[in-house]
Amino acid sequence: MIRYYYYHVFYVGMINIMVLVPFVLINHRFGGAVSSFPLAIVCGTLYSYITSACFQRFPGLGLPEIYRLFMPVWIANILNIIGVVTWASAGIIVLFSYSNTIGIFFDPEASAYLNLAIMALASLWAATRSSRSVQFTHEVLLIVCTPIIIWILLKALFSPWLNWDAIRLVATGGIRQPPSAICFFAATFVFSGHLNITLFNRLNPRDLKFRFRWMIPIVGTFFLLVSFFVPIGLHGTQAVGDYLYVWSVTTDTLMMKYGFIQRVLYLFLLLYTFLSLLFVMNTWHTGMEFFKACFKKYPPATDEVNVPRINWWICLTLTCLTFAYAYFTNDLVNKLAAEIWLVMRFFVETALVVLMLLFVFMQKKGLQRKQALQRQGGD
Amino acid sequence: MIEQIKEMLGDPADLATDMMDNGYARLEIALFPGMVDLFQLNEYVLKPFTYRFDPDEFRRMLHSSNSFFRGIASDQWSGYLLKGHTLIAYEGEVYVYRAIRMLQITPEETKVEVSLQGPQAAFTENLDFNMMLVRNMYNTPDLSVEDFDPNNLSKSKLALIYDRTKRNETTLKEVRRRLEQIDKGLLMSAGQLSKQLSHAKYRLFPITQITERPDRLCTHLNKGKLAVLLDGSRFAVLLPVHFFDFMYAMDDLYEPTFMSRFLVGLRYVAMLLTLTLPALYISIVSYNPEVFRIQLAFTIDGSRAAVPYPSFIEVLLMLFMIEALIEASLRLPRTVGSTAATVGGLILGQAAQQAGLVSSIMIIVTSVVAISSFVLPNSTFSYFIRILKYAFVAISVFAGLVGVVVALFVMVVYLCNMRSFGEPYFALFQSKAGKASGNNS
Repeated sequence: MIRYYYYHVFYVGMINIMVLVPFVLINHRFGGAVSSFPLAIVCGTLYSYITSACFQRFPGLGLPEIYRLFMPVWIANILNIIGVVTWASAGIIVLFSYSNTIGIFFDPEASAYLNLAIMALASLWAATRSSRSVQFTHEVLLIVCTPIIIWILLKALFSPWLNWDAIRLVATGGIRQPPSAICFFAATFVFSGHLNITLFNRLNPRDLKFRFRWMIPIVGTFFLLVSFFVPIGLHGTQAVGDYLYVWSVTTDTLMMKYGFIQRVLYLFLLLYTFLSLLFVMNTWHTGMEFFKACFKKYPPATDEVNVPRINWWICLTLTCLTFAYAYFTNDLVNKLAAEIWLVMRFFVETALVVLMLLFVFMQKKGLQRKQALQRQGGD
Repeated sequence: MIEQIKEMLGDPADLATDMMDNGYARLEIALFPGMVDLFQLNEYVLKPFTYRFDPDEFRRMLHSSNSFFRGIASDQWSGYLLKGHTLIAYEGEVYVYRAIRMLQITPEETKVEVSLQGPQAAFTENLDFNMMLVRNMYNTPDLSVEDFDPNNLSKSKLALIYDRTKRNETTLKEVRRRLEQIDKGLLMSAGQLSKQLSHAKYRLFPITQITERPDRLCTHLNKGKLAVLLDGSRFAVLLPVHFFDFMYAMDDLYEPTFMSRFLVGLRYVAMLLTLTLPALYISIVSYNPEVFRIQLAFTIDGSRAAVPYPSFIEVLLMLFMIEALIEASLRLPRTVGSTAATVGGLILGQAAQQAGLVSSIMIIVTSVVAISSFVLPNSTFSYFIRILKYAFVAISVFAGLVGVVVALFVMVVYLCNMRSFGEPYFALFQSKAGKASGNNS
């Protein structure tokens, strides 16, 4: 079961392209991006270790249930709503960026809303499913996509046109700069796959051991460095700053000599369709479950056959919000929103780590709320 | 007794009744001669009653032999008669004599799931015989059989089979509950039974598997799953199943490992092709020709030069042709069937391309789709895939390549969301039955 945890680590590492992490980092390539990497790697790894260790003490409980154990209902609900906003907005940003990417590179003639509509409907349906179904979907698609994406990344890494001088220039120049805050926030995103344990811990069995945690820094560092340095190497230190969807343009520099498809871009985009839909499914589902946890009427369920109707209403609201967002914003506003989200996410993550440490401390001291204990006993 | 029975059954012409008198005692007898083993009846009832009559011995035989049942209530007489038993009234008591004509004494040849070197025996239309086949192959004391007599028109007996030590209790309860709920209409085939067990009428994938092979049934039992046999049907229903079960032919167990792995992989590729190829054709031709390398895009477009309408009309035309062809060669008698295939496949395809109605690439696409759909080892599953392909075609008409990818995503979500009798239908790495549903229920 531990593999489900690492699926999240893996795919958040890969999806960073869609929340514009490379764009933010590359914007600061001469000022503090590189020097913030070591900090981000240490910080992200530390956070992952702490949260996984803390959640291990609460087997089968999601974050909302843990809130209920230690806090009055109203504080718990406020925290839940913060969770809803964080997760759901991530889904909306990715959905918008991706449908835009598709619009630019795939169907420039088609209506932007058509792409958004089919993707939003697909994620709407996927997010309303039960947690277990979401987890299964996640596993299947990730296993299909990851090898090909890694192959594309390696292909880019070993491409003869990759200019290592440009990379060296940026790396050696950047490392002497003082680290930049925004780059630090953006870079830690690559490591924040562990955040999804907040909901999916509900599915974890009692005897779960978090083995192979040493993989987290390795995987995260790999994706971070590749998604920052490879575009620089392929476009050069100056031209790389011209693009918003920098990775789509980067993969377009690659070519497959054999086979039906020549431009790697198309393969890359099709694979990232899966990944983006997965991301939206996961985030919306998490947001939806957090929202449901505010009401006593919806006890945490992970494998219901017929999902409650509220699922549809919540996700439908999110879909409408996405359309509203798409109507009122454009790429530039979205870029800003993504940056704000990246910063907010870091603070939410920090708060979560602090809260979890506090909860573990309270649990050791036996400071659980009486009602919660009774409720547990009653089950 | 005879009057009573005639009244109950409306005195049908094929009911034989007789009142026999050997000078010492009288015996009334009622039977359907077509369903009764007349030789046994002659040997064990008529001969002792007529020329070797000994009242004590005859009475002893009626009382002690395990083929004669006493004390059956009069309202059940007709039921026994209709199943091929004989009713005998002797000395004021009514006996039911069990001598049912067995039409089937050898197993059938496999017809639907052909195997090269595996067992060639298939189920027959007789439940007892089928049970013998299963017992012979799965020869352990743990094999449990539960009989169900559904209260419907055909009254065919059902047998629920499982391995006592391996089965999953929650699944078993669920299946029992559904077997008791079978509706009152005619139940004629395993396919019907599987539809009734699956409950939901509109499903995109089957959640039971229908098989004619005892070896498949036994491997299924060995995995801790259940099977239902229906009297009068030469197919068994296996449940719960996973998506992946449909991709295995029994030959995979009997042939070299590398070859069978390769074949399984081939089937997955074939499934994906038959699902998405027409849709991909539409999206490549009408939306994103630039996805393909330039030479290939030119070839495709060149072959469409003479075609006057958009690609989706072409696809629908050819898909209609191929579906009609498959259906025709399936329903026609064997001798005419091959002619239909030749006329349709070779001549029409060639002519349609030369006439400029469809492109030559489209002919290739169509045949790949048809051949790939035949690669799937299970015909029910292949039907589901065949119809699902049109959903992909529909979305590609409106949304192109992105639509197809999103539809694939939706299909995966749908599959992952399915449960076959409580067990996940499309979850990887969960071979043990009940492992996934067990720890959380």
